[in-house]
Order: sequence, then structure tokens, then C-alpha cells
Amino acid sequence: MAPTFGTRLTEALGPDLVRTAPEDLAAYAYDAYSEDRRPSAALIPRDVRDVAVAVRIAHECGEPIVPRGAGTGLCGGAVPSRGGLVVSFARMNRILELDTRNRRARVQPGLINLDLSKAVATHGVFYAPDPSSQKISTIGGNVGTNAGGAHCLSYGTTTNHILGLQYVDARGEVHRTSLDDAGYDLTGMLVGSEGTLGIVTEVDVRLMTLPEAVRVCVAAFGDVESASEAVSAIIGAGIVPTALEIMDKLIVDAVEAHYHAGYPRGAGAVLLVEIAGPLDDMDESELLLARIARQHGALSWRAARDAAERDLLWASRKGAAGAIGRIAPNYYIQDACVPRTKLPEVMTAIERIARDHALPVGNVFHAGDGNLHPLLIFDRRVKRQVEAVVSAGHDILATCIALGGTISGEHGIGSEKRETLSLVFGADDLAAMARMRDVFDPQRELNPDKIFPSGAVCGEVTTHPSAA
Amino acid sequence: MIAANDAVLGERAPSIREEPHDAASVAAILHSAAQADRAVVAFGGGTLQSLGNAPRAYDIALSLRRLDAVLSYDHRDLTIGVEAGATLAAVARTLGEFGQFIPFDAPHPARATIGGTLAAGWAGPRRTVYGRLRDLAIGSTVALTDGTLASAGGMVVKNVTGYDMSKLYIGSLGTLGIITRANFKALPRPPATRIAIAPLGDDARERALAAIAHLSIEPSAVLIVHGFFGATPRLHDEDVRMLVLFEGSAAVIERATRELRSALGAAGIAETLLLEGPAAERTLQSTIDAYVESLADRTLTYRSTGLASNAWARADALADIVHARKHTCDRIVDIRTGDAIVRVAGRSHAALLEDLAGLDAEVRRIVPNACVLAGDARLRAAIDAWGAVPSTLETMRAIKLRFDPTGTLAPGRYVGGL
Repeated sequence: MAPTFGTRLTEALGPDLVRTAPEDLAAYAYDAYSEDRRPSAALIPRDVRDVAVAVRIAHECGEPIVPRGAGTGLCGGAVPSRGGLVVSFARMNRILELDTRNRRARVQPGLINLDLSKAVATHGVFYAPDPSSQKISTIGGNVGTNAGGAHCLSYGTTTNHILGLQYVDARGEVHRTSLDDAGYDLTGMLVGSEGTLGIVTEVDVRLMTLPEAVRVCVAAFGDVESASEAVSAIIGAGIVPTALEIMDKLIVDAVEAHYHAGYPRGAGAVLLVEIAGPLDDMDESELLLARIARQHGALSWRAARDAAERDLLWASRKGAAGAIGRIAPNYYIQDACVPRTKLPEVMTAIERIARDHALPVGNVFHAGDGNLHPLLIFDRRVKRQVEAVVSAGHDILATCIALGGTISGEHGIGSEKRETLSLVFGADDLAAMARMRDVFDPQRELNPDKIFPSGAVCGEVTTHPSAA
Repeated sequence: MIAANDAVLGERAPSIREEPHDAASVAAILHSAAQADRAVVAFGGGTLQSLGNAPRAYDIALSLRRLDAVLSYDHRDLTIGVEAGATLAAVARTLGEFGQFIPFDAPHPARATIGGTLAAGWAGPRRTVYGRLRDLAIGSTVALTDGTLASAGGMVVKNVTGYDMSKLYIGSLGTLGIITRANFKALPRPPATRIAIAPLGDDARERALAAIAHLSIEPSAVLIVHGFFGATPRLHDEDVRMLVLFEGSAAVIERATRELRSALGAAGIAETLLLEGPAAERTLQSTIDAYVESLADRTLTYRSTGLASNAWARADALADIVHARKHTCDRIVDIRTGDAIVRVAGRSHAALLEDLAGLDAEVRRIVPNACVLAGDARLRAAIDAWGAVPSTLETMRAIKLRFDPTGTLAPGRYVGGL
């Protein structure tokens, strides 16, 4: 009898790198969205060679391969829906090179996002993309989903900070890409491809100079709509702060109960504004922002007194979903994006959709980007509520699309939204995307069942005979 | 119509010229060209047609000029969607009415188009501050050779819905599909702009660079210009000057200028010329225009991109090669982005042409990623336009085959003969 996949892997790489015991594999069956079957094996590689060897064996055995960072993904992207091999980058977590003069670093994919900025701060630089999960999520996972965060508003998302990659292709060959190379932008294609085009094993990141001054201000509003109108007005006035975040009453109360950060309790909504840049501009910028906020109904406005208060406001904002987890039996966080002028309209619609489905909803979102995160609160044990959550989630996405928006701003498509993708893109659009998949992964071994709709019309179907 | 001379690439002239009015017609033209085995080269303003090799075949010149509409612009969203044939200047005017801009930083904006600039993958000197155009592009539509129109991204500033296909077409030089529409993030215009120009002797060079590196206000661009006298003003008759661009509030610019002058003074550079607002913008633009400026038929311009810290060394290495072979050169070194632009000038067309194979071999040995950016067409035809072939060429070849299996789109123009 031929040796099994797990046996072959273990023989090639040793038991320290390869896990095959069911109790070990249970840890790789889920992400922050869903749980599915266990993989046949998990690899915890030390370096790219380990990855290449394992991918080659998986390819020969016809086993799918799913890369995994910290498992914080919110759309099922790291879940091995067909079993196979999970590659966990927990051990590949080092900064390999730091070049502060050119403001770049080469890092391994398992490096935790926040650890990078912490490690380079003494050189006066930072890594800008800061998803709320940054204390645990990894650079590799962030690359996979093209992660966003609160500071995308002026700094852009992960893809704007990736200068090059090393990746292992579906056959186990190792490649390197760079924005400085001539040719097609493979770097830009791989970022955000959720592990469906290649397994990223090294990341060249752009670092930015720490701003001279940072100011964080908090404004209270009567309701989410007026806070949203203030945000639309700030953007409309041509002001781009480094962050513009809104939390509604439900979220603020949960956050305050846990963090005591000093957000105004009882307000219908709170706007968190951060401005950063030269010291000379801070007072004037704050005055202007405060004036626009007041014109749109701000009940109060204050600036954090010092770095400690600023950090606490941010830590509690980024911990908002966790704080809800402490007061709600279950919640479902949605991710969608609309043009910034549509914010007030979409917030009204979300409130109505939640009410129609008899579900409490909390809103905590990157308002400046038009990136929404309604949290629908429910009890998993009540079947009717689970159905209501699914239905409400769908209605929210449909509303965002109707308003000129899209179904994911930063979390990704994964398995969660693959069937929804065809609400945004037509068959021809998806066929072009599928061509890329054909090139990188003709046999659909890399993270199968993700991104592309399962239907026969789109995505996974090859539309033209392969020219190769 | 495309002027007869403009449509010539290398020594090839097209037999057919098309100027469709809409995206569907672009797709239809590509489809029928693919069926009829005719090769297509897309044209915008023709300002960057010097990029890449002359195509192996070239039957149809496809001008996007009539697709020049602004399709979607609500200034309060800070996003804009435009057709590919719109000129950079026209888009800039639209945005300017509401105090917004996109830092295209590409040559000849009155003629250069959105589609052409994206296809060329142009990345200008302010990209360390604002990002590249690829970073500001949030959506696109392309026409493909199977006659379909494929869109990606959208009109929102954060979007991870499906593959980021726009990045594939940007910089693909019209070899995979023809961009018919692009959507961008717009930015609020900085309240004030100033360029400080300082003469730079060889002895002051290192100290001046150190001074720049330690400014507390980051300049938006720092260019060291050797020669290119028509493009960039001089204080006296110096060969080399440093352009430092500051953007921001008046207060910040004042502080930055004080700091810069004091640092340069300490480095032995007593004088700086200041240009404000529109004058600063014109000088930045004329310097960027110089990247692709040819002197009659006797120049060829290389561009090398890489680490900012060795941009100067790469430009020097190229200049040494040029001088050793008794030619002259003008240079622009972008010490923020790492671009080095070297325009080689021969005594005559014949003199440079005769020496070009040897010169080019040395250039590629010393600076492997140097690409040809501009120059006389016959000079360009004598050498390969691309530098080192990327290690991922086989993947790129597979992409080309998958998107353009009939080799309809500018065949042979791209890296590695794709």
C-alpha cells in the first residue's frame, strides 16, 4: 500500500514540523468565521524550503493547500474546507532585514503585525496598515486579505505597503517579485488573493516615518446618522485625517464597561478623529474639524490629553468587537463599503434592516473610508435568530451594492461571501479573475472553495481552452 | 485621427487606424482583430510610446482619444471615474475646481492620457508621499481580445472584493487588455507648494544629502538634476542643482524652508532659489517632461529604479560608462524614490548608433534593471528596451498566453518578448 499523505510529509520533514494527530489538527479546522473539517496534515515550517517540499508532496498527492496566519480571518479564508494540508506560519515570524535608510524591511509571513511596528519604532518609522486584530494577526495573513485598518484613510491598505514578495507556487517552486522589476505586477496580484495564487513566504514592506505630532479627538453625537453626516462633510471639505471612526451607543457602552477609556457614555454615537503630521498644523486642523463636527450636531468635542489617553482610546476602539463578545451571546460582524456621501443613507438603512429582523445591531466602523462593520447580535441556539442574521446580512450587502458600494472593504471574500461575489461582478469580470487563477493554480489546489462562486456560470469555470 | 508620424512604432506603420467612441467598440475591435490575426497597439497621447520594444507585428493603431469623458465624479466622495482617453490635464482641471488632485507626475499632461499613463505603469517623483498611481487606482474596466469588457474594483476606497485585477493591467503596456476606464482616489490639494533650488557642487553633495535626510519636514520630492538646462532653472551656471519640493500649509513650508536653508548653509551652500505655487508646479512638470525629452536624433534615455540609497551611485555608474565612451549625458537622480534617469547624447546620431551595442551591454552589466525610457526610434530599435528579465518571466508568459492567446496586443513589445 502506498504511504499516506501524512506519512510522506512526516518522512520528508520530520514530526517536529508535521502534525497528523487528530487532536493536533483540530486547531487548524477553524478561523474567526467558521469551523469545518480538519486537514489531513499541518505543516509548521522553519523556512521556505520546508514549504516548498511540503507543497510538492501535496501536489503529487492531489491534496489542497491552505496557508494560515493567526486564524483571525472573518470570512473563512483559512479554513481547510476540503482537508489537505494547512501551512501554519507560526514559526516563521522574524524580521529578516531592516533597512531604515530606505524605509523598508523584509519579514517572514508569521510575524505579528504590531510586533513589526514595535520593533522598528526606535528608528522613527512604522508599518502603517493596522487592522484591529494587529496584536495577533500576522503580516502574511494581512497580505492574504489585503487587510485594512483604522488608518487606511490616509495611509492606504496593505497592498499600498508591500514592495515585493517571495512565494511558493502550486507545484512547490519558489519565486520572488518586486515592484522594481520590469513586467506584470505579480506583487499586486498576490496581495489580497487569499492564498489562492501562491503561498507567500517572505514579505518586503514599506515603512513610513512616524509623524511629528498626533492628536486624537472624540466627539459625541445624538445619533449615528448625524455623526455620519459629519464624516461625509469632513471628507467633502477635502480634509483627510489619518482616521475617522464611528462607534454607536451599543458599542460605546460595551467598550466603556470594559476599558473605561473615557468615551462619552449615553451619546447616540461617538466620532474618533485622529490627525497626524507637522506640529504646526495641529491646532488649526483640530479647530476646523471641530467646527464641521459642531455644524453637524456634535454635542461635545475634546482632544486626548496625552499619549497614554490616546493609546487607550485606540486600544478600546480596536477591542470593540471583543468587548461586544463579553455582553452578547453571539455576534456576526459584517464588512462592506460605500462611497462616503452614502454613509448617512446606509446607516439609516442598516437600522431599519436590523429592526425588521428584530435583531440588535451595533455599529463600529471606519467611517472615513465608508467601510461599515455592523455587528448583528443573536443567540446561536435560537434557529429563528440565526436565520434572521443571515437574511439581514444579505440585505445589508444588497443595500451597499445598490448605493454604489461593495461587499467587502477589508475582511475578504473567503468562503463566507463567495456566492455573493456575483452580485458585484458579472460573468465577464469573474472570467478575467479566473484566468489569473488558471495561470497560478490550474488544478485548484491552493485554498480551494474560496473567493470564486461555486456556480457553473462563473469563476471556477475555464472560459477558454488553455493556450499553454 | 492619429497623425501619421505618431502612429509609427520602430519602423512599422499601421495599415488601419481606429478611433472608437465607446468601450464596447474597443472590445469589438479587439475581438475582430484577434479573429483576423491582426496586431493592435493602443494609443493615448503617444507621450510614452517610446516604452518597450517595437512590436513584432502592428496592423491597427487603436486610439482611445474619443473615450474622454468623466464618468463619475462627486467631489464629496474624493473619488473619480474617467474614460481612458481623458488627458491628465483635463482630469486635473475637473478635480482642481474642487481643490482636489491626483499626483500623476507624468510627462506632457496636456497630451498624456489616463489609459496610456496607467498602461505605462508610470510612477513619478512624489510617490513616496502619495503612493504610485497603482495605489490610487481603485477600479478599472478593460477590453479583452475575446470581445468582453472586464471590470474590477469599484468606486470605493477600500475594496477586497475579488482579485485586484487593476494592478495587472497597470504597467502591462497594452499587452493583456486595453484599459477603457479607471477609477481613482482623489486627494485634497495641499494649501501651498514651494520648490527650493540649490546649486550643488561635487564637494557639497554628500553633506547636502545628509542635510535633506535630517529635515523634520519630509519633502514631497527631492531631485538632483545634472544638465537638462532647459527644463530646470539654474541660479548661476552650475551643472548640478537640487530641487526640493515642499507641500503643505504655509506655516509648515516656512519652517521647512528655514530648516533646509540652515542645513544647506552648514553644508556650504549659501544660496537657494525659491519658487512658489504655480511657478513651483511648472518647474516640477518641466523637470518631469525632461525624463522623456530627446535631443534631435542623437539621444537615448535609460531609467533605473531601485533603492533610494544607491540611486546616485547607479546614475554615476551609468555616467562613467557614457563618459568613458566619449559621449555626454544629462541625469536626474530622485533620491526619495530611487529613480535614476540618464539621457545619453552622442556627437551625432551615427556616432551613438555605432557605439550603442557596446554601450548598452556595459549599461546592463553594471545596472541590470536599466530600461530604455525614451530616445530616437532608430537608436531604440538597435537594442532591447528592457533590462534584466525578471525571474518570474515564465509566469508572465503564461499570463500573456491566457489573456491574449492570439498574440493580438502589441506582440513582442513587453519584457522578454511578450
